[in-house]
Amino acid sequence: MLIINCPYCGPRDQSEFSNGGEAHVKRPDGSKEIGDREWGEYVFIRANPKGLFYERWVHTHGCRKWFNCVRDTSTDEILVTYKLDEKKPNLNNFKSVVKTPSGEPEVGSGNFTVEK
Amino acid sequence: MKSINLKENQFIQFHQKISFKFDGVKYFGYKGDTIASALLRNNINLVGRSFKYHRPRGIYTCGIEEPNALVQIISEYSEPNTRATIKKIYEGMEIESQNRWPSLENDFGSINNLFSPIFTAGFYYKTFMGPHKKFWKNLYEPLIRRAAGLGKPPKDFKGISNHIHHNVDITIIGGGLNGLLAAKSFINSNYDVLLIDFEEQLGGIINNSNKISSIDNKEPKDWLKETIQEIEDSKNIKILKNTLVTTYNYINHLIAIEDRFVGSKPIEGKVNSTLHKIRASHTILCNGHIERFLSFQNNDLPGIMLSSSFEKYMCRYGLAPSKEPVIFSNNSNSNSLVYGLIKAGLKPKAYIDSRSGEEIEPNLFDLIRKNDVPLYTNSQIKGAFGNKKIEKILVEDSSGALNEIKCDCLCLSGGINPDVHLFTQSKGLLDWDEKDLTYKPSKPFQPTITLGSASGQFNFDNLNSDINEKLKTFKVKKLDVKLELNTNTKYNIEKLWEVSPQKKSLWAKSFIDLQNDVTTKDIRQAITEGFDRIEHLKRYTTNSMGTDQGKISSINALGIVSDLLDKKVNEVGTTIYRPPYAPLSFSAIAGRNCYEFYDPERKSPIHSWHLKNGAIFEDVGQWKRPWYFQINKDESMHDAVQRESKNVRENAGILDGSTLGKIEIKGEDALEFMNLIYTNSFTKMKQGSARYALMLGEDGMVKDDGIICKISDQHFIATTTTGGAATVLGCMEEYAQTEWPNLKVFMNSITEQYATFNISGPKTREIMKKAFPNINFSNEEFPFMTFQFHEFNDIPIRILRASFTGELGYEIYIPSNSAPKIWDNIQSVGKEFGLAPYGTEAMHLLRAEKGYIIVGQDTDGSITPIDLGLSWMIGKSKKDFLGKRSLARSDTIREDRKQLVGIIPSNKADKLEEGQHIILDREIKSPVPMLGHITSCYYSSTLGHDFALAVIKNGHSMIGTKAYASTSSMSTTGVDIVKPVFYDEDNKRLVS
Ligand SMILES: [Zn+2]
Repeated sequence: MLIINCPYCGPRDQSEFSNGGEAHVKRPDGSKEIGDREWGEYVFIRANPKGLFYERWVHTHGCRKWFNCVRDTSTDEILVTYKLDEKKPNLNNFKSVVKTPSGEPEVGSGNFTVEK
Repeated sequence: MKSINLKENQFIQFHQKISFKFDGVKYFGYKGDTIASALLRNNINLVGRSFKYHRPRGIYTCGIEEPNALVQIISEYSEPNTRATIKKIYEGMEIESQNRWPSLENDFGSINNLFSPIFTAGFYYKTFMGPHKKFWKNLYEPLIRRAAGLGKPPKDFKGISNHIHHNVDITIIGGGLNGLLAAKSFINSNYDVLLIDFEEQLGGIINNSNKISSIDNKEPKDWLKETIQEIEDSKNIKILKNTLVTTYNYINHLIAIEDRFVGSKPIEGKVNSTLHKIRASHTILCNGHIERFLSFQNNDLPGIMLSSSFEKYMCRYGLAPSKEPVIFSNNSNSNSLVYGLIKAGLKPKAYIDSRSGEEIEPNLFDLIRKNDVPLYTNSQIKGAFGNKKIEKILVEDSSGALNEIKCDCLCLSGGINPDVHLFTQSKGLLDWDEKDLTYKPSKPFQPTITLGSASGQFNFDNLNSDINEKLKTFKVKKLDVKLELNTNTKYNIEKLWEVSPQKKSLWAKSFIDLQNDVTTKDIRQAITEGFDRIEHLKRYTTNSMGTDQGKISSINALGIVSDLLDKKVNEVGTTIYRPPYAPLSFSAIAGRNCYEFYDPERKSPIHSWHLKNGAIFEDVGQWKRPWYFQINKDESMHDAVQRESKNVRENAGILDGSTLGKIEIKGEDALEFMNLIYTNSFTKMKQGSARYALMLGEDGMVKDDGIICKISDQHFIATTTTGGAATVLGCMEEYAQTEWPNLKVFMNSITEQYATFNISGPKTREIMKKAFPNINFSNEEFPFMTFQFHEFNDIPIRILRASFTGELGYEIYIPSNSAPKIWDNIQSVGKEFGLAPYGTEAMHLLRAEKGYIIVGQDTDGSITPIDLGLSWMIGKSKKDFLGKRSLARSDTIREDRKQLVGIIPSNKADKLEEGQHIILDREIKSPVPMLGHITSCYYSSTLGHDFALAVIKNGHSMIGTKAYASTSSMSTTGVDIVKPVFYDEDNKRLVS
């Protein structure tokens, strides 16, 4: 289980939080004309990368506040959490620390390192 | 096998006899014995039958790695698969062997051993395929389940477990030599330390072997006592004994299970285990090593055990399982056993080593020569033989000659492995050590430190420097411990995975996994058949898939596979080690979250009245709601529901609606916010009026409904469905924070702060007048869909004129604490008007007669407001609201979408069934084109027949036509498709 650092409450157990999917997905402005494709992509399409991912979480059983984070989906490591009104961090800042414990080796299993 | 008790032992109280029963026979052991040590004391070594072939099996090890000696504890709710090698005995304990019938000595299933040539790798997959797929479920599976397997499931077990959380700086796993030294470094430091050991006594190798002769010039046990005392006295270190770490998760999150009743019978009603959930900044693994066995013909016979286990029985339990065991080894780890036997006045019957004379350690050589122990170097055991026990072995010596040695015990050592299970669970990476022939921890993935043999350090010469180096990141004092060994040797091993069989016979078996009965031949066959990837091979052969997870054998399997494939072992790889390290019971995981604490029960403030008045309850989410009220014990549900609903139509009924979700919305921009959340427009709505409203998802589908009361443009109260309350509040919060943070608006749940009573029926107005005499309930003063605040006996109440039954109705909102008083008052004044309570079932029937939907029953997340015929609820002039744009998507404006309609049987006497399909043809001929299905269905005594709501393709334009409904007896009923309203279509009663 992860420890998530709520920007308002500090580090807490994962069981207090709910995941809210990809972060920084802008809801199209309803007062303007929105095409089928644009709206469809907003409603149905989300990124699903292996690696660094901007993600939303909510401290459901805590302060009920939404916030953003950068999570490495291959290791589950949460690299940074930040408030909604804060600027999104540049992913290049984190490149050096990314590691993959189960880097799908050709033969064998998760106990092999994969050099990038 | 004839065992003897050794005179002195600090862990066994020889003066305290304990009686226990094994397979119905009474035996004696001593306080401190495990089941295994007690059985060995009684010269019993046949303790079980194997999984597949029902071969006789004995005690193979002296610890958690035991593959064979699994027993059923009858005196503890018949707990199965208990490792006899770790479970301590107590007075009156009852134990049974497993997987045998009718008895352990004469087991019928052992006939499988005769048929063994057909039970090869992939046997189940290949054999039980035909001739018909039903054969598996009805014949093969029940047969196999009876014949193959372990213990029987426990009975009436109500184990209680507590969960305890720890947040520490350092967790040290293993209280052996290295664990104690690590803990010693942290004595009186500023770090919070948790030291965990699986055993009752700390000390590990110091207690379990003859390896160490002195520490800091003291007797090892004296040093141990002093050190433990120092650690216990240190305020920053907490010790957990009898606690096994089973799981190592991300972020140094460890799960450990503590046995609270070691050596005594668990007391019913008391906590029998504690599950520790540990968070640490650093984890130090000092969990030692596990010895491997060796494969040769009949290496599973009772009387064969690991040599380090034999040594542990001597040191830890004061028991030599045999007076003259034969030792067979390919490494230096058994040297201390030879030393220990001779020190105890015993002697190995023979010492057999696959290594050459030059490689064998000189001091072992001297010891063996001095004591006239027959020595076979460069030799291998070809096979072991005997009837249900080992009687003789065949040794091929360096000249190639075969020697027969009679013996009652054989000690094996195939080398040692660091216990890497937890390290790999933590996602640390392993490296193959070509010299020590084992996988060792290399790159940790988390802040994990490994010490001692757990890190692959099998020698003691770097003890101090290794610990000092690895702990240098902490502010702790450096260690300088002086260690003397009894057998001063460096770890040395020669490659030997399997001895080639002497005779090639179909029945000759050389086991690689004792618990799952996998032979080396199975491995060979799997590779021949193409299962040469280690994860495939594991599943095809079931190798290392038992409850012991192949702790003493999985590396041997890798060795054999690497030889067969002519690859290096690290090219073969290992299978992934998954938690738990050893089985832990579901009751331990569940903790206190079971039985009455499994899920909270929510009760309305009127609950105790319902109990007294014959309510039968229904679970709605976590809420207990009255389903219907029985006026006497004989009244059926059907009769009660019809009586209650008829009374609402004719007189008046009262429903406890306190479970409805209630959300208060406040703020400068509350109006704009509500306009964005719901489909309706609230702008032109008058203060003090109410509106039925829909909430959509961004996909345009109906998510919830409720009534919105507008107190002012800055203040609203919304009701939600009972089940949707949390979701709706969550959705409002999400959009307020993430999409429209500029809006000044706040919302909170007031569900539990207010009770709600729904009174409806033609006589409601009179009842209300009498109950609240100071309020004017006339149509002019209190029109439909308006609400008023009042005070009644100093209790602030809010009354809303609304109805879910189609009759004249009011909803009364009262602070929960005052609700029972007002409820009682309404009951007493309502009596003369025939007021009676009704439950959720009558409410469902009444609303369905009016065609009012229930979100989640008549909708399923794929229904739009237009599909429901509720287009009038969409605020078309609004620029935006949740899901608005989706209502114009090509898929949402399709004409043949499923739409809500009413259904009545063409022949009024016919019955309809909820969930049945609506189809066009009378005959059911596959493929049957299905139009949709019945979502709600009731019998109405008001109508005098069954009626239903349904969602069907193109439903709105099919109104007035005929179709068929399928039935559960695979026939059809003719139905009329009608408007989804069956009662008072003009709403005359509602506004009367
Ligand atoms: Zn928080």
